Amino acid sequence: MQAIKVEDLSKTFRIKRKEKGMRGSVKAIFHPQTEEIHAVNGVSFAVEEGEMLAFIGPNGAGKSTTIKMLTGILYPDGGRVEVLGIDPTKKRRQLAYRIGTVFGQKEQLWTHLTPYDNFRFFGAIYDLSERETEARIAELAERFELGGFIDTPVRNLSLGQRIRCEIVASLIHRPMVLFLDEPTIGLDPVVKENIRELIRQMNREEHTTIFLTSHDVGDIEKLCRRIIIVNDGQIVLDDSVEHLKSHYSEHSLEDIIVEIYKSQEEN
Amino acid sequence: MNRLAKQDGIVRCMPWRKYAVIYRSVLLENLQYAANIAVGFFSYAVFIYTFIMLWNYMYRTPGELIAGYTKEQMIWYVMMTEMIWFGSSAASVAREVSTDIRGGNIAYLMNKPYHYTLYVMAKYTGGWSIRLPMYAVLAVVIGTVLVGPLPRFSLAAVPAMVLCVVLGLTINAVLKMCISLFSFWIEDATPFQWLYDKLLLIVGTMFPVEIFPKTLQPLFKLTPIYTVCYGPAKLIVDFSPEKCVEILAVQAVYLLAGCGLMFLIYGRGVKKLYVNGG
Repeated sequence: MQAIKVEDLSKTFRIKRKEKGMRGSVKAIFHPQTEEIHAVNGVSFAVEEGEMLAFIGPNGAGKSTTIKMLTGILYPDGGRVEVLGIDPTKKRRQLAYRIGTVFGQKEQLWTHLTPYDNFRFFGAIYDLSERETEARIAELAERFELGGFIDTPVRNLSLGQRIRCEIVASLIHRPMVLFLDEPTIGLDPVVKENIRELIRQMNREEHTTIFLTSHDVGDIEKLCRRIIIVNDGQIVLDDSVEHLKSHYSEHSLEDIIVEIYKSQEEN
Repeated sequence: MNRLAKQDGIVRCMPWRKYAVIYRSVLLENLQYAANIAVGFFSYAVFIYTFIMLWNYMYRTPGELIAGYTKEQMIWYVMMTEMIWFGSSAASVAREVSTDIRGGNIAYLMNKPYHYTLYVMAKYTGGWSIRLPMYAVLAVVIGTVLVGPLPRFSLAAVPAMVLCVVLGLTINAVLKMCISLFSFWIEDATPFQWLYDKLLLIVGTMFPVEIFPKTLQPLFKLTPIYTVCYGPAKLIVDFSPEKCVEILAVQAVYLLAGCGLMFLIYGRGVKKLYVNGG
């Protein structure tokens, strides 16, 4: 069964433009100028249940905009989206119960609370009973080895500890699809590997579908079997990681990706 | 499938529990910073002292009435409206919503299974639940020591007064949120907030409506001034059951209309959302 289905998805932003200096500022008051940016332009793909997909591209390619449309945050200008059979634009809150999100550059935890209080908070937000929440916290705390700092306020945690807690918070309600937006950014290699192993384990044991965006080739190589590369709001490659590597057997995955980015720039 | 059905079942059973938890979390946070709240006492005390001096000068003879208020009632009126102003800190609602929309943080709050506006309201309520009682104690102490007890004050009417103050605070936050939600369309809603705040501050907070020309008074009573600050404070300094019923009825109308408007603006605005960096 398909967990995510996207057909001809598009999103255009209207950006204000202003000429430089005071004259430009005054002119912009009377003759405001705007420019249309096609952030996502006719994207179509599907993700199977339990699949781990890398959705990558250079900065400004349209990755985050796509994730935000898949999670119901942004409304598409065209096309169709279905996540777990739900249209995010129509039933965002219903969908929220079934998906989890981790944004590596954005905290969702309340920093003055301890991880334990945060998890209880998220349990309540997702309408879990006290007993269910406690059982889930115990299970995830053991799996993610949070015992040593589960009662320390989040503001006092290291980045690696915080990201582990962020992932646990997003898993508290057993989501079927997990959106990971640069989950290992800023982490040291050991912690990165630890986080990857936990994601793999979660996919294996809970059959969670993983939708990953990352600039770290290690994340892609070690987690995902399939890769989609986007640029200028369009899909430029949709292939298996294995096939990609065998096709360019003399190059590392990082070199291949850089080469694809460069060839797109030239076009 | 079982997992979905179960989740749906729970959603229908306890839709308000999450807002109670948000409220509790903010309450816990504010309890940690109770000492910081007390720093604001200084500004409140200076403000009230200035008004005590002003009204002592204006009321030259004992028992004199100005706009129907005795000196004690006039000073207690200002103390109560300022207590609501300082204790509620409704500006935090406007600031939070505007910052969330303009900075894009709203994107990370919208993808949770709660309504964003109720999330902000729950946080706001958690904030004033600590601050307002602290300011109430301060106001009672300052008032009793420097002004004397309120004449004809009835302890039996306190629950009705508290209800009226709480509804006033909530209406104020709802209206301020409505203004901030315009940030979905315009770059900065702060000038509109400024106009709204100044109207409340000058007409209903510093001076009671009766001070102003008679021709303007009916107009003022149609504005939020009546439900947010004038009504609750007037009830505290000069309680009557008839006035209480009248204020509560107007507050109910304002609250329903305000919430309707808030949900409407949010529903329309969220489709216009543009998030920086995607």
